Amino acid sequence: MTAASRSAVLATVAGLAAGWLAAMLLVWLYGESPRAIALQLVTGTWAVPYGVGQVLYKATALLLTGVAVDLALRAGLFNIGAEGQLAVAGLAVAGTAAGLPATTPAWIALPTALATAALAGAAWAVVPMVLRVRYHGHEVISTIMMNRVADALVAFCLARGMALPGTVRTADAIPATHLPRLDAVGLRALHGSSVSAALPLAVGVTACVAVWLRRSRIGREVVLVGMSPRACEAAHIPVGRRLGVALLVSGAIAGLAAAGPVLGNKGYFESGLGAGAGFGGIAVALIGRGHPVGLGLAALLFGTLDQGGLAINGRVPMEVVTVVQGVVIAAVALADARIRAVALRGVTS
Amino acid sequence: MPAILSLDRLEKRYGAVRAVAGVSLEFDAGRVHAVVGENGAGKSTLLRMAAGIVRPDAGAVRVLGTALPPGNAREAIRRGVGMVQQQFALAASLTALQNAILGAEPVRALGALDVRRARERADAAAQEIGVALDWDARVETMGVGDRQRLEIVRTLMREAKVVILDEPTAVLTPGEADALYATLRRLAEAGRAVVVVTHRLDEVRRYADVASVIRRGVLVSTRTMHGGAEDSIAAITRDIMGAEPPPQLERARRTPGEVRLAVRDLHSGRALRGVRFEVRSGEIVGIAGVDGNGQHELVRVLAGLDAPDAGEVHSVGGGGGIGCAAVVHEDRLAEGLVPSALVRDNLVLGELARFTRFGIVDAAALDREAHVRAARAQLSAASLDLPASALSGGNQQRVVVARVVCGGERAPVLVLAQPTRGVDLIAARAIHGEIVRAAESGKAVLVLSADLAELRVLCDRILVLARGRIAAELPPDAPDARFGEAMLGAPRPVVERSSEVAP
Ligand SMILES: Nc1ncnc2c1ncn2[C@@H]1O[C@H](COP(=O)(O)OP(=O)(O)OP(=O)(O)O)[C@@H](O)[C@H]1O
Ligand SMILES: [Mg+2]
Repeated sequence: MTAASRSAVLATVAGLAAGWLAAMLLVWLYGESPRAIALQLVTGTWAVPYGVGQVLYKATALLLTGVAVDLALRAGLFNIGAEGQLAVAGLAVAGTAAGLPATTPAWIALPTALATAALAGAAWAVVPMVLRVRYHGHEVISTIMMNRVADALVAFCLARGMALPGTVRTADAIPATHLPRLDAVGLRALHGSSVSAALPLAVGVTACVAVWLRRSRIGREVVLVGMSPRACEAAHIPVGRRLGVALLVSGAIAGLAAAGPVLGNKGYFESGLGAGAGFGGIAVALIGRGHPVGLGLAALLFGTLDQGGLAINGRVPMEVVTVVQGVVIAAVALADARIRAVALRGVTS
Repeated sequence: MPAILSLDRLEKRYGAVRAVAGVSLEFDAGRVHAVVGENGAGKSTLLRMAAGIVRPDAGAVRVLGTALPPGNAREAIRRGVGMVQQQFALAASLTALQNAILGAEPVRALGALDVRRARERADAAAQEIGVALDWDARVETMGVGDRQRLEIVRTLMREAKVVILDEPTAVLTPGEADALYATLRRLAEAGRAVVVVTHRLDEVRRYADVASVIRRGVLVSTRTMHGGAEDSIAAITRDIMGAEPPPQLERARRTPGEVRLAVRDLHSGRALRGVRFEVRSGEIVGIAGVDGNGQHELVRVLAGLDAPDAGEVHSVGGGGGIGCAAVVHEDRLAEGLVPSALVRDNLVLGELARFTRFGIVDAAALDREAHVRAARAQLSAASLDLPASALSGGNQQRVVVARVVCGGERAPVLVLAQPTRGVDLIAARAIHGEIVRAAESGKAVLVLSADLAELRVLCDRILVLARGRIAAELPPDAPDARFGEAMLGAPRPVVERSSEVAP
């Protein structure tokens, strides 16, 4: 292991430890026993089949948003916009899946729905992309803004006719677009949990992205551009186009993260569905460190925390687990020179 | 008198490579001590350990008899060990002045920065080595020559007891190098110890009191130089290579063909003010001059990276800029290489399309080409799997040159800025050979170098770039004085560069 990657791993472990300590401190301040709460967090998740299924359900979306954020990071871009990309994609995919003729066969309906999610996510990355590539506008700022716009747009669309009258949810998707729950396809043990075929889909996407970055010309150039845009420019690699592709694909993958909640769980979109997974993806990407297995493990970790938060909610506010996420992001971002370089671009160069 | 700085059996290993394998050396007060050796011999690693920048695996560094805590650069500076590294350690977004005083800012009462005093001190240090710097220019807009001068000035301002300079003259003109060595001599006479790494044995002959040769991480010899005797230089050369040096390049007569590169009335900000020249097929044209007179901008325009304000670049086999010229940029770590990418990928940077089928890179084909180029650059196959940043400075340079020469095989024009910066004698001759071969194959070749001797060996004619204009065109055997006149006939301008450097 090189010194750099050793220190990166160290930063990750230290960040996780710091986050956990902070959360436990809060628990203690709250007057509860940290040990009991920790125990409850674990038994509420990995000790029961339903809990395992729910962790996997949450991890599915986190894996995709994590891959999305990570892909952008590899290009030297910080995509904070997965949250908005996911929300817009959720609404779009629900609308499409409900609007298809009821007789559409699954082999057309499902790919159409998934493509809609990806396209909507990518579309939501277009503005930040143009600002970045054309005007050197920092994507952190533009993607944050797009998150706010997404919130407003989703609320607007739901209020103006996309929601069923008197509700904040869309119409039901046609059955042909459903991603089957895993408990329905043989994994009985996960009985009742929301994990669906979106999980293998997410794993597949993760693998594809890893292969794309390693093996394809464009993927490799994206990574090189992320390492040194100046040297790439001098070598006549089209830096702007590579940055653009990275942001669009990142948005598309974040959009795909809406598939699990909408097509695999609810069968419709409602206000707030999947919320938090976009920001969670940032933590997953920072912990996963550009490696597909790392991203998978990080998604499982934060999925566990998410679900565990529900399990302990009766005794302490579930937000304590958000504290873990926040501290980890802050600690790793500070300790990691790569992240610092990306986040501070424009300030220091 | 005890040595000011002594290195005791220092060791450093990188993976399978023993970069430094047990070297003991002493640097005495009052002496200029040259450290020489091939690319990758371990000179930089050794001296970086001495300055606390790299932590040794074993061994000790002592300043006036007391051991330094290993790998603690801050403490080393506090104890008086200052080093100018081969790879600049400057903050790109700060100005030259801010960099010069970084970490040692003169302050007035209440901690306010004393800008006037800072400037005075910086000016004094710059004057001492006879250089002029634009203190308000941001480092990222400066050429490598100016950055090198800034690094030197900054270290001199620290008033160190031991001044270590790693290849400080690689991008300086001979005149500047002379001035630098005169300063170093004064420092030595004032009781400091001076350590200089260089590949120019001529400098060793003229200025060094002691010369140590490092080969493959081991100290081969340390000689006291007696008034620059030729035979000790010959012995040093043998020690460096373990063999006799290859013969000097023979300058063959070439007959230039038709014009391949025509530059007409090029203007760019205040840096280029009406540059015009032509280069013919089969011709090698040199551009001499003090760095900062428009070289940086000229190369960027020729490479198609910047658009000129006015004027045009014409080349046969392409319109302007992109595609017509294969370019070796002067700043290998910023523009030449992606430092954190593997050497393998750097050897074919920007050429992935050639190795791609249906969007997928043919790794085997890429690997074959990388091996061919590595062999041509005399790089070991093992280094292909290192990040470029792990190569020694000279070996990084070889990667850049090999890529541009091989990858630009079809380009009608070859432009090389400081092509042999930091490479050892053998590699420099190999690179010169490549340049000559490129010309013989019909390319138009333009070489920019701070080293007039290099241009004299290579070129058919030499243009002097001064203040953004071609001040003179001289034959390679014109006397030094004529070059000096053309370069410095007018005072050096303060050049303001466009800050259009990509982030
Ligand atoms: N970070 C690193 N990782 C791996 N290998 C390294 C690293 N730094 C240096 N090396 C290796 O150590 C050896 C010595 O390198 P060093 O930079 O000291 O050479 P040098 O004598 O200064 O050469 P040059 O004249 O080219 O500057 C080289 O083989 C180099 O590849
Ligand atoms: Mg070196």
